[in-house]
Amino acid sequence: MSFRNSVTIIASPRPRVGKTLLARLVTDFHRQESRLVAAFDLNLGERTLTQFLPEYATIATVRDIGGQMALFDRLVADDGSTKVIDLGHESFESFFALAHQIGFVEEARRRSIAVAILFIVTPDQTSVEAYRKLRDRFAQATLAPVHNEMLGPAQHRDKYPLASGGQVVMRIPALAPGLRKYIETPPFSFADSNMGNAVGIPLDIHIELQRWLRRIYLEFRELDLRILLADLQASMRFGS
Amino acid sequence: MARPAVILVGADKGGVGKTTVARTLIDYFGAHQTPTRAFDTEAPRGTLKRFHPELTEVVDVTLVADQMKIFDTLGSADAKVTIIDVRAGLLSSTLQALGEIGFIESAKKGQITFAVFHILGPSIASLEEIAETARVIGDANYFLVKNFINNTTFFEWDPSTYNSYFKKIKGADEITIPKLNEMAYEQVEVSSVPFVSFVGNKGAKGEAANNSFVLRGYVRHWLGNVWSEYDRVKLVDIVSPKVESNVRQVAG
Repeated sequence: MSFRNSVTIIASPRPRVGKTLLARLVTDFHRQESRLVAAFDLNLGERTLTQFLPEYATIATVRDIGGQMALFDRLVADDGSTKVIDLGHESFESFFALAHQIGFVEEARRRSIAVAILFIVTPDQTSVEAYRKLRDRFAQATLAPVHNEMLGPAQHRDKYPLASGGQVVMRIPALAPGLRKYIETPPFSFADSNMGNAVGIPLDIHIELQRWLRRIYLEFRELDLRILLADLQASMRFGS
Repeated sequence: MARPAVILVGADKGGVGKTTVARTLIDYFGAHQTPTRAFDTEAPRGTLKRFHPELTEVVDVTLVADQMKIFDTLGSADAKVTIIDVRAGLLSSTLQALGEIGFIESAKKGQITFAVFHILGPSIASLEEIAETARVIGDANYFLVKNFINNTTFFEWDPSTYNSYFKKIKGADEITIPKLNEMAYEQVEVSSVPFVSFVGNKGAKGEAANNSFVLRGYVRHWLGNVWSEYDRVKLVDIVSPKVESNVRQVAG
């Protein structure tokens, strides 16, 4: 199993920590790697992911059985696409409770689909407890804490124990506030070679954005290796 | 030779989920590799037979010929456990018939293991049934089953009234069947397969099916909870007591 055939869930029980930005980055990373990708927007308020990725993102919900079937049946479908979920904080509890109840991670594993949970860490107790619960519930998934450096310096790494020795904290490097306006205004795509429709973007800023993006994509490639490693470890642990 | 076991699933009212409970029992014993057969008393057309055609025979329990088919074969049948899904309204009369043919007496003597799953309805009339049934069944393992599968507001009894009835029944045990998502339940109905087949994404003949993963997940979770209840009351031990204990007795 690898990142190529995976369901990546971007999660945090807190709002405004950079989940949608990370979901956009993961989706565009797969696009740049020439993979088929389907993204799911589970935010109740602004449909930011859908605004940035109208051709790739679908609005999804777990609030009713119809929505649950539309989402989870698609996530485990063998349709050749890798999936990315932008999990809004309002849906955090219900999504993972349902995933646990119906055995989503186990089913995905049976179908050779890797499940990665990218958990954006914050120092509050709610997040720490939610992370601990995910570790307990989803032992067969790759649970990666993500430090979004745009939220400030990390003071809380010890609160988020890593699932295995081979894992490290994933980092989203800080981006100068002056540069953020370019990536936070749709339409904008990291996958386009000219950085989307940000026409008139100054060359020095373009170079800086590319440099920032390369560092993030490097983190994703490391995640791919971690998924392979986790798969190997799980195979040894569960004998499958 | 192992002692045969008979499980009667019934209620004096229709629509309380007798057949659903009987289906979970067949699945449960199947999972424990306990050979089981079933009789569906909804003659001429049986719902239980629709889900478990190979294990189930439709009978009219009021006919002597069919009573012979069930009870005269207890010792000779390959199946160790016999489940009888009693048609609505026939529980009391079936128990009475069992008394008349000496079945209840045989159970008292320990020649047969006998258990009654009494599926309770939402009304106070069901409580009257408890006392009536308990009076007739003698030393049988008596299970009062609260079936919440279709309705979360099913039981609106006064708890003290319920407890006063419940405590009157010596040795009775309570089993709770939790709620199952309506769409998941309906989909199993439409598929007409055992719950375990639905969970395993199989059709009636073992062929691959195309059931929703979400609905299968709901059914698996629910069935797991139901089986936990059966584990809690040690149902497998009741129908097939451990051989080791007999060995110990023989060994003194």
